[in-house]
Amino acid sequence: MGVNLSLFKGMGFFSKVRMLRVCMFLLMVGYGALPAMARYADIIIKGKVTSGTGESLAGVSVEVKGTTVGASTDVNGNFTVTADESATLVFSYVGYGSQEVLVNNRSTINVTMSTSSGQLEQVVVVGYGTQRKRDLTGSVTSVKGEDVARMPNTNPIASLQGKVAGLTITNSGNAGSSPVVRIRGINSTNSASPVYVVDGVLHDNIDFLNPADIETIDVLRDPSSIAIYGLRGANGVIAITSKKAARGQTRVNFTSSLGVQRVINRIAVTDAEGFKKLYAAQLSNLGAAPFDFTNYTANTNWQDEIFRDALININSLGFSNSSEKSTTLLNIGYTNQDGVLKYDNYKRYLVRLNEEIRFNDKIKVGGSITGFHWISNPEAAGLNNALWAAPIVPIKTDTGTYYSMPSFQRAQVGNPVAALNRNTRTSISKGFRIVGSLFAEVKFLKSFTWRSTVYTDLGFNNSRDYSPLPFAFVNLGEGTNPTTTTYDNTVRTGVSQSQSESKRFQQDHTLTFDKKLGSDHALTVLAGFTSIYSHGSSINGNRRDTTVNVPNNPDFWYLSTININNPGAFGGGGSESSIVGAFGRVSYAYKGKYLLNATLRRDGSSKFAPENRWGTFSSLGVGWVVTDDSFFNNVKTINFLKLRGAWGETGNANGFADNLYRPGISNASTAVFGNNVYTAIQASYIPDPNLHWEVVRGFDVGLDMKMFNNRLNAELNLYDRTTTDILTALTLPNESRSYFTNLGKITNKGIELSLGWSDKIGKDFTYSFSPNFSYNENVVNSIGDKTNFQLIGNNGANLTETGKSIGYFYGYRQTGIYQTTADITKSAAFTNSLPGDIAFADINGDGLITSADRTYLGTPFPPYSFGLSLSFGYKGFDAMFEGQGVAGNKIYTQRRIANFTVLNYESNRLNAWTTPGSTNIEPILDNSRGNNYLFSSYYLEPGDYFRIRTVQIGYTFGRNALSFLGIQKARIYLSGQNIVSWSQVTGYTPEAQIGSILGGGADNGVYPVPATYSFGVNVNF
Amino acid sequence: MKQSKLLSKYLLVLFIPLSIIIILTGCSKLLDTNRQGGYDESNYPYPGGSGPYDQFIFGAYNDLRSYSVHVDGFVAATSIRSDDADKGSTPADGGADLISMDNFPVLPSSGRANALWTGYFGLINKCNNTLYQIGTNAAITATEAVKLQTQAEARFMRGYSYFMLVRLFGRVPLIDTFYVDPAAQNNIPQSTPAQIYSFVENDLNFAAMYLPLKWDAKFVGRATKGMANGILAKVYLTQQKWALAMSTANAVITSGQYDLSTPYAKIFSEDGENSSESIFEIQATADANNPTSQGIQYTSIQGVRGAGAWDLGWGWNSPSTYLEAAYEAGDPRRARTILYAGGTTIHGEAVPTSVPNPRYNHKVHTNPAFRSSVGSRFGWWMNVRILRYADVVLMYAEAANEMGNTTEALEKLELVRARARAGNNTILPPVSTRDQAQLRNAIRQERRVELAMEHERFFDLVRWGIAGTTLPAAGKTNYVDSRDRLLPIPQTQIDLSKGVLTQNPGY
Repeated sequence: MGVNLSLFKGMGFFSKVRMLRVCMFLLMVGYGALPAMARYADIIIKGKVTSGTGESLAGVSVEVKGTTVGASTDVNGNFTVTADESATLVFSYVGYGSQEVLVNNRSTINVTMSTSSGQLEQVVVVGYGTQRKRDLTGSVTSVKGEDVARMPNTNPIASLQGKVAGLTITNSGNAGSSPVVRIRGINSTNSASPVYVVDGVLHDNIDFLNPADIETIDVLRDPSSIAIYGLRGANGVIAITSKKAARGQTRVNFTSSLGVQRVINRIAVTDAEGFKKLYAAQLSNLGAAPFDFTNYTANTNWQDEIFRDALININSLGFSNSSEKSTTLLNIGYTNQDGVLKYDNYKRYLVRLNEEIRFNDKIKVGGSITGFHWISNPEAAGLNNALWAAPIVPIKTDTGTYYSMPSFQRAQVGNPVAALNRNTRTSISKGFRIVGSLFAEVKFLKSFTWRSTVYTDLGFNNSRDYSPLPFAFVNLGEGTNPTTTTYDNTVRTGVSQSQSESKRFQQDHTLTFDKKLGSDHALTVLAGFTSIYSHGSSINGNRRDTTVNVPNNPDFWYLSTININNPGAFGGGGSESSIVGAFGRVSYAYKGKYLLNATLRRDGSSKFAPENRWGTFSSLGVGWVVTDDSFFNNVKTINFLKLRGAWGETGNANGFADNLYRPGISNASTAVFGNNVYTAIQASYIPDPNLHWEVVRGFDVGLDMKMFNNRLNAELNLYDRTTTDILTALTLPNESRSYFTNLGKITNKGIELSLGWSDKIGKDFTYSFSPNFSYNENVVNSIGDKTNFQLIGNNGANLTETGKSIGYFYGYRQTGIYQTTADITKSAAFTNSLPGDIAFADINGDGLITSADRTYLGTPFPPYSFGLSLSFGYKGFDAMFEGQGVAGNKIYTQRRIANFTVLNYESNRLNAWTTPGSTNIEPILDNSRGNNYLFSSYYLEPGDYFRIRTVQIGYTFGRNALSFLGIQKARIYLSGQNIVSWSQVTGYTPEAQIGSILGGGADNGVYPVPATYSFGVNVNF
Repeated sequence: MKQSKLLSKYLLVLFIPLSIIIILTGCSKLLDTNRQGGYDESNYPYPGGSGPYDQFIFGAYNDLRSYSVHVDGFVAATSIRSDDADKGSTPADGGADLISMDNFPVLPSSGRANALWTGYFGLINKCNNTLYQIGTNAAITATEAVKLQTQAEARFMRGYSYFMLVRLFGRVPLIDTFYVDPAAQNNIPQSTPAQIYSFVENDLNFAAMYLPLKWDAKFVGRATKGMANGILAKVYLTQQKWALAMSTANAVITSGQYDLSTPYAKIFSEDGENSSESIFEIQATADANNPTSQGIQYTSIQGVRGAGAWDLGWGWNSPSTYLEAAYEAGDPRRARTILYAGGTTIHGEAVPTSVPNPRYNHKVHTNPAFRSSVGSRFGWWMNVRILRYADVVLMYAEAANEMGNTTEALEKLELVRARARAGNNTILPPVSTRDQAQLRNAIRQERRVELAMEHERFFDLVRWGIAGTTLPAAGKTNYVDSRDRLLPIPQTQIDLSKGVLTQNPGY
């Protein structure tokens, strides 16, 4: 053991000897826990559970207190459980207060669940454990699995959009893609994505999850809640608990939805007539000879050619069984999603098996394994290609001959349909992923629980691609040039193959002490240890056949098809990293009304140099349940009120490269002498010798309140969070490589308000209304004193500096258009400004427009976000409406600034300046006027939007209506998603592009988020 | 009951020690992960023997082929800005950024100006790194001679880079050290052109002293004494230091390494690479496996912009009608310089009449045999001729004439004209004027046609002080000499420096 102790090097708060003692102690208590367990006479207890309104409640958990024995109610609310005649039964159900009922030798017990403490009885994930929401001192929001399952999205996180205050989600319409997720603004100049914790396993990517197989999603937002996750948690944590089998029942559940996705808004570009008019005007403004359009008689809408109505089909079939000794859950999922961009397709097959075996009420073991297989066919069409291609060109003459673009864009822009059809179905991309876990849990000495879990996540991806022969192209005659047909015979067929594998192992070991001391003190102490190890490797190659043509048949898409003497290239790589941590938490409640939570974590990451590797993070939270104090007994309108405040500190090492402190050597650069090639080496980037992680600290104060007989639910949070030592890659002058360093400080301050009102009118009509609102202010407090250079992003369109929002838009402000030379003389202008150019504001008032007149033009990150949902129920019918939006940000229409050659014009250019007084917004059509392509407010548009996310109506068949089919319960629904948006954004989607931090907010042709119309069923057998 | 007790006992006996073993073995060395599939600076197996610094200096040679150094911005700033070439391609192609290189002013936001800045400073940085390694890397053992020779290579390329920068931008910051921690570098202000020229002379003199006359065949194209002296002669010529220009050019002429025996028609083809004419040529190569990665895109941006098999490039840098008119009657160099739509290439191909431009740069036209063997039409294998022997001979002639040494000037001028004549004595009669001004004009004319499309013209016009009259007369009506002789300091660099760098006059 002496050798092994070296692992605790640097773990300051645990001395080696102490740790050894702890281990020995654990061993001893383990053995000591063996005896005990006497039993009295067991009886069978039956009963029915109903809600306050008399409706029977299905799925209520019925547990025998102090044991793991239990059951849950069936669809009619009935349960059967075997328990000791003097036992206590605990009834719990999401959204209701749990109730304890003494059996007292009764064989029938009927229970009415009350909503008295409502949601607050709910249990949420708090990191290596769970806690009653009532006892929380940080901000954690839970979303029920059914709210996720009812949305026809392939990624469960996409369904959270607008549901949680402080959570910003940007969806992509790409089939099978993951959304961009930010919690409480941007904390880092590096990766700002939260970490996902799925049943205890840390993931960056959760594409293996079946949305219908989720019990709850908890969003942990404040530093006190995430501190226990150490270096991984700083951007927030999204904890996902997958479904477990309900006690005492055998169930079959089937859900399916079928929908069609459609891009309902196109980017407005000119048609053939408009294009001809504008190009002619541009040539005339350039003083060039007119273009001969005679042979260009087509009017092609290229966007229509690359988009399609795409089907999406999501299915899930679950089987679960639970008995006294074991529970089993088997879930099978199949998703088939076509992308709206031809011929994007994604198929996913999922199987998850979860098994838990209880030897007795002290010992249980279990495991879960998910198999995930995906097949994707990437889109072959390019969005920008379709926007750029001149609409005057016809598509093709026959299947092998297409029209090329006119000479003015032929070298840069291809025929979008030719590209699409040439590359369609020339790629086979597949992956397998296996995520598994095993755990064992032992309760001993009454109050102690030891739990050990090992996890693994294995991934295998491979792809094979084919590069076909080109098409022939007809080049239409222009002027004196005749029409020709050309075929590029230098292009040869080729194949490529690639494979990659990844593996990850995580182990968690926790010891929990949970005891009520007397009637007033409840204490839970947790200590634990965790490690994560990741490794990956990849290999790829390609070969081009210079003698024969490889057929377009997947049977031949292997490197071995082509003789080794043909040209090709091969590559490969690998990665390795690890994290080790020890942690502890103390939760204490006095009389259930004064609450205290404290955590401590010591973490080490292999990404940093040994001397900068270890850090200690902690948090402290306090809460006061005001309504439990006697002076509050007389306040009848307020049913529950909790005030809470928390402070926490954690590190952030997310998204940094493996071995960040030791850059790899690039051997890609070469010296060439004659035909001899020699390798040169260079470190691929430059690290600050003292690189370390970012530190996130923050306060969070809030209140949870229930009023008016629990009909109104309110949650309010104020937070102030600061990130210091931001780890950033800088662009420095006189150095082409990036420089990684810690610098500066960013603060995110904000407020989050969530309200929920639910009530009923009469006996049958229920309704609820839940709006939420959040405001986040992002301020860069300092960019450090290490360098005296400026931080710029996206070629200078974004600037990061002290006192402003991170990566704000920095450029000229348009005041109008210079109409005449007199206009230019009397106003501030560039020395080379001409009539028809954009007039800019003279910010420094020196009478000239210079680079000093650039100014703050807005932020790419929405400060305001809001969401609301409205639902109604009447007998079997239900209806739901959800909307979501953001405000206060700007979007940079960077796709419009492209002017490297003649591209199709967006429709706004139809109003381009021609003569004095023609417009005060759109500059002249003349791409030699460089001033009009400077980054200015002309290229910004408000990012505000409100979008109807979901409109859904459903009908649930009565209990007996379908019993002849063996169906206990069935719901059918019609749903529309993203069907209407209100915004001034001209791109495909108004959703802010926040993936890049120092250079965010640019729309360079974002994949559209389609509207989806779907029909679905949810059946229980 | 009993069973379950027993079971639990065994489980516990197994389970708790097992977990502890997992913990302890699992993490003992868990945090010591290594880079997979690549070296870092601590474990790179640095080669021993001769040339141990090659791995660093080769990085600088790599940058000579960079898009930012000798491709797009280079062609635009040295050739499209001059009266010898138009932007080419279709009227709006290349956008404001490229159009402004043709017809001024270039805006401070110019992507090409910024690329040139970062490209040459990146190259300088690699030279400084090599010098730093020679000075500090104790792990490498080398003889003093090897150290001096590698230093000379680094200082040659650094001197060349600053010579480009000072002619392109005027005032630039002088960075002569390698920053291990680049954030710690001072935000260095610009030096005056005089300071930069003195720095360049220093570097090139050192390089000329320690570089070899020539290298072994496997290192053909590597920095030589001739390269350093040839560039240095041009540095002196640019500063009108006539005596030094003459003596330095003479050092190249008398080195015995170069001559004018290569026919003009052959110099620019693939088979003319590294001929006895060649002093400084950016080396590029390509084969079917690597059609681009060891090459340079220089040719493809200028290639014929046709369709199908005639899609050889973007058609930029099209020879102008002013250049066309500059040739004397019957000068065969015109046909080797200008490739006409409907004309015939040096390799006998008939150019279609339907290509969008009437004229293309014939000197970068590739051999179709290479196109088919490499499997690419875009000519990444073509070397870029930076300094030819004829240039040095003409520099000598120019300096000699300015020194009043008319005989020497006439003699050297005739060497170049004689070669151009290619045996046809009915064309290009020898120049005989002994009038200094007339001879100056004759030498200028000879430089223009001999070195046409070879990136000399704009810098020549500026150093002769006639850009302000010549360029507007050649249709570049926006040209204002006080402003446009220099590119603007890129706004991005001024922004990065927080305003320590200041803009050139007139912008």
